[in-house]
Amino acid sequence: MEGSDALLVARLAAGDDEALAETYDAHAAAVFRVAVRVVGDASSAQDVVQDVFVQLWTHPQRYDATVASLRTFLVVLARSRALDQIRSDARRVARHERVHRLTPLQDVPAPTEAVTAAETARLVQDAVNRLPADQRRVVELAYFEGLSYRQVALATGLPEGTAKSRIRAAMATLEKVLDRHLLESS
Amino acid sequence: MSSPTGSHVPPAGLRERVLTAALIARTPGRATPATEPITAVEGLRRSAQSLRQVLSALDESQWRIPALRGLDVQGLIGHLIGVETDVAGALTGDARAAAADHIASTETTARLQNGRPGRATLYDWVTAAGHVLDLLAAADPDAPVAVHGLRLTTRSLSIVRTFELWTHENDIRRALGMPRTDPDAPTLTVMTDFATAILPRAAAVRGIETPVDLRLVLTGPGGGTWQLRLRDETPAADIGVVTDAAAFCRLLANRTAAPDLPVHITGDPAIARQVLQAATTLALD
Repeated sequence: MEGSDALLVARLAAGDDEALAETYDAHAAAVFRVAVRVVGDASSAQDVVQDVFVQLWTHPQRYDATVASLRTFLVVLARSRALDQIRSDARRVARHERVHRLTPLQDVPAPTEAVTAAETARLVQDAVNRLPADQRRVVELAYFEGLSYRQVALATGLPEGTAKSRIRAAMATLEKVLDRHLLESS
Repeated sequence: MSSPTGSHVPPAGLRERVLTAALIARTPGRATPATEPITAVEGLRRSAQSLRQVLSALDESQWRIPALRGLDVQGLIGHLIGVETDVAGALTGDARAAAADHIASTETTARLQNGRPGRATLYDWVTAAGHVLDLLAAADPDAPVAVHGLRLTTRSLSIVRTFELWTHENDIRRALGMPRTDPDAPTLTVMTDFATAILPRAAAVRGIETPVDLRLVLTGPGGGTWQLRLRDETPAADIGVVTDAAAFCRLLANRTAAPDLPVHITGDPAIARQVLQAATTLALD
């Protein structure tokens, strides 16, 4: 029969759940380590581990034994899923931040959420700092100081329509910069 | 950062959580990517079509090349004409087909092809095979039929014939120096489902020495995972066999010897070999 990785994945494709358990036992520790390193906490890392092994089980044909070892494939997949999770968290926090500024005080977050939010907020702040000056200014006014479009326009001396379009452009730039930053920092 | 225990070891409960989530996302046992389900008759039609394509490309000299059991290619197709005739008889109430011998009853038809143009033999086989396909398509798949010493359903008969046409196509390909061919994945799926269903019966016919709990994993197109009990007694030996689905079908068709089958075995290898040997018991040539 073929090499052990190829055999294991052929068994997965054949619906052999014992092969899935064997794969988990052989590689879960490595996947978990990478996930913790990227997302920064054990709870989120467990979600990444689950994602990785469910993906392997549902789409085993995406692994090519001629390209890399199964461990490498799983570790790369874990890293990618972990980065997806951070991006998703960052967007969620940014949304939450915006809503938070427009609504009365909400419940105080749990300590673990506060740690995650603080970590992600730092990433977002770093990304904002990399924006061009005119974009950074309107984003800071709108999202960190909680000003409305009209107030941003008054504060910057821009027409309101221009302030609005500049904020939109800044948000698009911010998203790209934030994604690149997360990739580099991992 | 680290896990709550201060290490990067996955928490103990994560294994069960991950495996449970995976098995909810995809049911174990069946192969992925899933194949389009087809009927047994459709599998037979595809096998007949594949053989017909090979035969349609032959020149006269190729019809005379020795292929199997002293028969040349033309004689082998003559044998198939005889089989189609017997099967059609069995499906239309001719009691003689039930006890007829698979080889002996077709010898005359095989011999009669000698000296005829190859295309005439091809025409006769295509006509006879088409008639059988029509009869099988119209039959109740669960209706019993008796032919060549076998008593089986018409669905099973279609699959046995699928094995036969595929096997003889490869006999001819080998004689002509052509590469071996395997059925498409939907047809192989029909064949492996049947093969695994009859394996306990084959083991009973063969009389394997030890009761076996067999975990059979067939990889590649037409594959899947089966848990089979061979001889319903305890204690049973736990045996795992992993092999390619098409290769397993070749074993059942008696075109691969059990010791030559590329296989990954867990448990007692001697018992596993007995099981594989038993799988060849029901082969029809």
